[in-house]
Amino acid sequence: MLKDITLGQYFPGNTVVHKLDPRTKILLVIVYIVGLFQANGWAGYAAVTGFTCLCTALSKIRPSAMFKGVKPMLFIIALTALLNIFYTQGTPILPGWIITWEGIARAVQMMLRIVLLISGTFLLTYTTSPIALTDGLELLLNPLKKLKVPVHEMTMMMSMALRFIPTLISETDKIMSAQKARGADFETGSLVKRAKALLPILVPLFVSAFKRADELAVAMESRCYHGGEGRTRMKQLRYQTRDRIALAVGTVFLALMFVLKRFGL
Amino acid sequence: MNPIIVFDNVHFTYPGDELESLCGVSLSIEKGSFVAVLGHNGSGKSTLAKHMNAILVPDEGRITVCGTDTADEEKVLDVRRRVGMVFQNPDNQIVANVVEEDVAFAPENLGVEPAEIRRRVDAALRLVGMYEYRLHAPHLLSGGQKQRVAIAGIIAMQPEIIVLDEPTAMLDPQGRKEVVDTVYSLCRAKGMTVVFITHHMDECIDADRLIVMAGMELEGEPLGVSDCAELIADSLSKERSVS
Repeated sequence: MLKDITLGQYFPGNTVVHKLDPRTKILLVIVYIVGLFQANGWAGYAAVTGFTCLCTALSKIRPSAMFKGVKPMLFIIALTALLNIFYTQGTPILPGWIITWEGIARAVQMMLRIVLLISGTFLLTYTTSPIALTDGLELLLNPLKKLKVPVHEMTMMMSMALRFIPTLISETDKIMSAQKARGADFETGSLVKRAKALLPILVPLFVSAFKRADELAVAMESRCYHGGEGRTRMKQLRYQTRDRIALAVGTVFLALMFVLKRFGL
Repeated sequence: MNPIIVFDNVHFTYPGDELESLCGVSLSIEKGSFVAVLGHNGSGKSTLAKHMNAILVPDEGRITVCGTDTADEEKVLDVRRRVGMVFQNPDNQIVANVVEEDVAFAPENLGVEPAEIRRRVDAALRLVGMYEYRLHAPHLLSGGQKQRVAIAGIIAMQPEIIVLDEPTAMLDPQGRKEVVDTVYSLCRAKGMTVVFITHHMDECIDADRLIVMAGMELEGEPLGVSDCAELIADSLSKERSVS
C-alpha cells in the first residue's frame, strides 16, 4: 500500500524533458498552473489536457506512473465532483431533480483541473532529480539572498526531504509489518480505533527519523559540508536552445489560455 | 616509520556521561597500512573513529593527522578532507537521489572546479565498480552497492586515510565481500591508509595490524599479523565454550 506513494520520486531518463534546465521547468510549471486556472470552458480544458499529454509523451513517463500520482488524491477529487454535482444551479437533467447539466459539466471540469494540476507538477519531480530541482530553485531565488533569506539552507532542506521520502516509506512499511506480526490491527474498527492503532507506528518512526537525521548530519560534516559558501556544482546550469524553445512554447500556451478565457471558451 | 595519525594520551567523555569513553588512548597509524579495529559494543570503537576526522575532539590529550592538530578549528575542513569516513548505515550517509550526484557532494563542498569534479566522480565510481550505476537512484541498489557508492563518495574527496565504521554490519554475505574486497584493493593497489572497524574476524585476516578495544582503552600493545590467526582461533574457541 505504501509502495504506491510516488511523491517526489524521480524517474531517470534521457529525453528532452529530462534534459531541460531545471529553472526552465520550474518556470514552465508556474506558467502551466497559471494557464490551467485560466481555463473555464471546454476549449480551455482541451488545450491544457493536450499540452499535458504532449509533455508526458515527450518525457516518456508511463501513464501508469502518472495515474499512481493521482491515486492518493482520488478521494478529494471524488468529493469535489460530488459537491459540484449537487450544489450547482441550472437546468435539472430530469424535471424535479437536484442534479443539473451545469453541475455535471462543472464536476467534470473540476476533476480535470485537479488531475491536471497534479500531473503537471508531478511531471516536474518525475523528470528532474531533486538536486537539479534545488539547484534550479536556488538559482531562481538567488536575488533573495540579498535580503538575507537563507536560500541555500532552504533548498538543501527540501532536497534532503525529497531524498528521504522513499527511505522513510520503506521504514514505515517495516514497522507496520513488525506490528502486524505481533497482532496489531490497522484495517478494522472505527476511525478513532484505527487512528489510535497508528500511534505505535508513529513513535518508532519519529525516533528513527531523528536518529537518521543525526547520523546524516555527521556524515555530511565528514564530507566537508559547511553551508553554501564556496560550494561549486558538478553540473553547471546553462540555458540552451531547447530551453529557449520550451519557454517560447510556454509563453504561447499562456497567451492561448488568456485568449480562450477572454472569449469564454 | 611514517605515522599519519597519532593519538597521544587521548581522554574523552560524552557530555552527560559519567564514564569516560576513551581513557588515555595512545596509538599511531602508519601511512599506507591497513588497520583493523575490533571490540565489543560500547568499547569506544566509533568514538575512536570520530576522533580521527575531528567530528569529536579530545577532552584531554592530542590527536594529529598529517601533523595537523584536530582541535585546531581553523583546520577542521583540511583534516576532514584528508580523513574520509564511511559509516554503518548506507541509507543515512547518501545525500542525493542519483548515484553520481551523491559522489559529487564532497568535492562540491570543497569548491572543486566542475570539470575536475566530473573526472573525480567517474574515477571514483570506476574504482569501486559502480560506474554503470551512476544514473541509478541509490534507494533501489542493494546494501553492498550502496555502501560502495558511499565509499566512492569519500574517494572523490581524495583523502589520504579512509576510516570505515562497521561498514559491513548491515550487509548480507555477498555485500560484505564486495565491500571488503573494495577496501582491501584501495589499500593494496592505491596505497591508501585504511582504518577498518568491524565485528567480523574474517574481515581482519589480511590486515597489517589489529587494534582491540576493551573497556574503553586499548588492550595491550597493538597486535601484528602473526598474532591475528592466534586471536581468531582464540575467539573461536571462546565462542565454542560459550555455546
